[in-house]
Amino acid sequence: MKRTNPDRRHWTAAAAVLLLVVAVLTAAAVSARAASNHRSAGTSVTVDTSSPPNSIDPQSGYTVSAGETDWLVYTPLLTYAHESGVAGTKLIPGLATALPTVTNRGKTYTLKLRAGLKYSDGTPVLASDVKFAIQRAIKVNWGASSFLMPIAGAQAYLNGTASTISGITTNDATRTVTFNLTTAVGDFANVLAFPATSPVPQSTPMTVQTTQMPPGVGPYMFQNVVPNQSYEITKNPIFASFHIPGIPLGNIDTIKTVIVSNNTTEAEDVLANRVDAFDVGDAVPPALLGQIQSQAKGRFAKETVASTNYFFLNERLPPFNNILARQAAAYAIDRGALARLAGGFVAPSCYFIPVGIVGHPNAKCPYASPNIAKARALLKKAHLVGAKVSVYAMAKSPRQEEGQYYASALKQAGFNPQLKLIDPAIYWTTIGNAKTRAQTGMGGQFLDFPAPDDFLLLIDARNIHPVKSNNFGNVDDPWIQKRLIQLEAVPATKLQSIASQWAAVDEYQARKAYTIVWGSSQLVKFFSNRIDFSSAVFHPLFFDDYSTWKLTK
Amino acid sequence: MPGEELRVGTGVGPYRLALRRLRRNVAALVAAVVFVGIVACCLCAPLYAHYVAHTGPLDNHETERVKVGGHIRDVVSLIGIPIGPTWHSHFLLGADFNGRDVAVRLLYGGRNSLIVGFSATAITMFAAVLIALFAGYYRGWIDSVLARMLDVIWAYPAILLGVAIGTSLSLGGISLGPLKISGDSLYIPALIIGFVNIPYVAKPIRGQVIALREKEFVDAARTLDAGGLRIMMTEILPNLSSTIVVLVPLMVANSILLEAGLSYLGAGVQPPNPSWGTMISDGVRLITTSPFLVLVPGVALVLTVLSINILGEAVRDALDPRAVTRTRR
Repeated sequence: MKRTNPDRRHWTAAAAVLLLVVAVLTAAAVSARAASNHRSAGTSVTVDTSSPPNSIDPQSGYTVSAGETDWLVYTPLLTYAHESGVAGTKLIPGLATALPTVTNRGKTYTLKLRAGLKYSDGTPVLASDVKFAIQRAIKVNWGASSFLMPIAGAQAYLNGTASTISGITTNDATRTVTFNLTTAVGDFANVLAFPATSPVPQSTPMTVQTTQMPPGVGPYMFQNVVPNQSYEITKNPIFASFHIPGIPLGNIDTIKTVIVSNNTTEAEDVLANRVDAFDVGDAVPPALLGQIQSQAKGRFAKETVASTNYFFLNERLPPFNNILARQAAAYAIDRGALARLAGGFVAPSCYFIPVGIVGHPNAKCPYASPNIAKARALLKKAHLVGAKVSVYAMAKSPRQEEGQYYASALKQAGFNPQLKLIDPAIYWTTIGNAKTRAQTGMGGQFLDFPAPDDFLLLIDARNIHPVKSNNFGNVDDPWIQKRLIQLEAVPATKLQSIASQWAAVDEYQARKAYTIVWGSSQLVKFFSNRIDFSSAVFHPLFFDDYSTWKLTK
Repeated sequence: MPGEELRVGTGVGPYRLALRRLRRNVAALVAAVVFVGIVACCLCAPLYAHYVAHTGPLDNHETERVKVGGHIRDVVSLIGIPIGPTWHSHFLLGADFNGRDVAVRLLYGGRNSLIVGFSATAITMFAAVLIALFAGYYRGWIDSVLARMLDVIWAYPAILLGVAIGTSLSLGGISLGPLKISGDSLYIPALIIGFVNIPYVAKPIRGQVIALREKEFVDAARTLDAGGLRIMMTEILPNLSSTIVVLVPLMVANSILLEAGLSYLGAGVQPPNPSWGTMISDGVRLITTSPFLVLVPGVALVLTVLSINILGEAVRDALDPRAVTRTRR
């Protein structure tokens, strides 16, 4: 009879034990992942994002993914209807009892808080909390704080010469909040619909919070925030008692957002139903597009949104303080090429105000056709051939490919570009910091509210700040400034009557090549088969409206 | 073999003998031909770009069309999928997502990878030999300090250290007094790789220096009042030459691989400049529809590193007769 060597038997046994241990650990890891993705089955979903928010602190968050969650956690005085399409741009009362009463020739806005409002931690909401929140937004350099500057005393508060904003008066007893503006601002009501203006308790630190978010009033509340990794919103148990019309209470108990390193993993996970939603701010990789369209029918759709993709050119630094250099850069760009890089998810354009927004110019693009010979001639005329240029782009697909394209195009035009790829988590703060001295790079803007000044704020000199600037190119043109101030004063209801004047501003900035606008994005609505695709609202301003999501039966 | 030993005894120098052994090694000869061929092709990159492909490594052709097999095709499709190999002068190996000619970028990328590999090796060898000589010859506190410095670098995984230094330097570059290197310069990855590889060369050479300093010929030089520097340069360094010659090709291969790894992770050669690592990184997102974007630079990388490694092994065997004896058993 054949006998087994005892040593060999021991090895076999050891190998078997090792295999068993590996199998158990693998099974544990798989079930742990499944548990983390679908914790308490039927009531939680997971969203992957490779475009993390700049911050989820309500007074600091400004990017697409920040807005998606902050909108549901921090309801402002006014908010938008939870509807798709144009219906979603309608302002409705949020924490206020009604839309504002506008007096003093458009310079005074008065609102009243609803009675009995409480934060998610049970603390009563005071009218003075609204003032505190707006002061906090200015203090922590909220990305769109220029919208708050028309409030009387806001500039002094920003400069540090005043300890409070004199133009906001509140009465906790009567729950009234009054905003006095230095000048009439037609769409100031839209400003009061930013989550950044929603009240937070006055005990909240005047610094950007990264783990412990302040409580808010909304259908959801934050929990388990792990910076740069993940954050969750879970249903706010006391919100239903406020009975605020038009704001859904939400169907899914917990929505977890996980920050992933790349959009290919993200798309593959959603396609395979391992993750429930693809973040709307991310681009679908072209290599997977065909597969997604064929295998994910009924849970994938392209959504057109009002947005602007552009390259900023820093007017304060050479070579782009010279109009010839800016024109050379504009001539070097082929918008069709950039649209292909985005996998067909971009419609080429050359104006800041996108199609569908009042004021979109119909004039011919001043530098529409790529013309490298002309670009080179302009640069030669300016004696700037070989000028060094730092080109900033986000280190994620397809942004980095677009950045590579842009740097190559500048090289062809005769510049000496150096591409700097920046992590998406710090991209906006990096290029928005004056010390970075970014000469040119990629910028983008999605619709905050349906008005042209939401886009032209990016070339508004009042939006130049030492840090967190939104006017990345430091555009400071007196002609533009004069018109922006004039046009902003016109009430939103009369916007259509001044459409041509808004268009004139946009055409002027395009001719001056202050920015190189190259297209409007199309976004994707892409879910796993666990989410009911048809009932999920794609909001024109906040995109994926989590509060309307339902699980499929 | 007795015959070879006899020839050594009859006055043939060790390097000539090594060359003879090398010539008899068929694998080494094939590897040498492949490597020289790759280097020659890469050096001819501008000629190929100008006279054959008629495009540069950074030139975009996204919206252009090209005739392939009688059909006009987009270089990059409307949804961003680039054309594959055409096997013609234009886009011989296809185009990348920016419509850039892959063959042109492959040659320029190879040039960059080789420049980084050789420069990094030069930096590593120079610094490592210097450190090893001082540490091994003087011993005492100099040895302690230098050896601990090497231990610190050694203790940190090379790729992580490379990524950490590369990421920070790729943005700001280097500005040390008169020394100014921009963030996209090839010298940045060369410096990083050269730096992180120092312990891997310095440690074994230091051990050899410690052994050599106890030899009689070094004692004899000391007796003749020769200074430490002179002994290191004229007595010890020549005796390290065979070790250095063996280490050089291995370090070149290692440096090219590390460059590819760092570039893949965005901490090496900075886009849009091509290198095989950046080409692989760029191609990954289209791997399912355009696998050639990853395969082409990948094969070039494998062939280069394999040929250098085989050559390096052969040089080691040729310089070390005992190794030859071992392989012949």
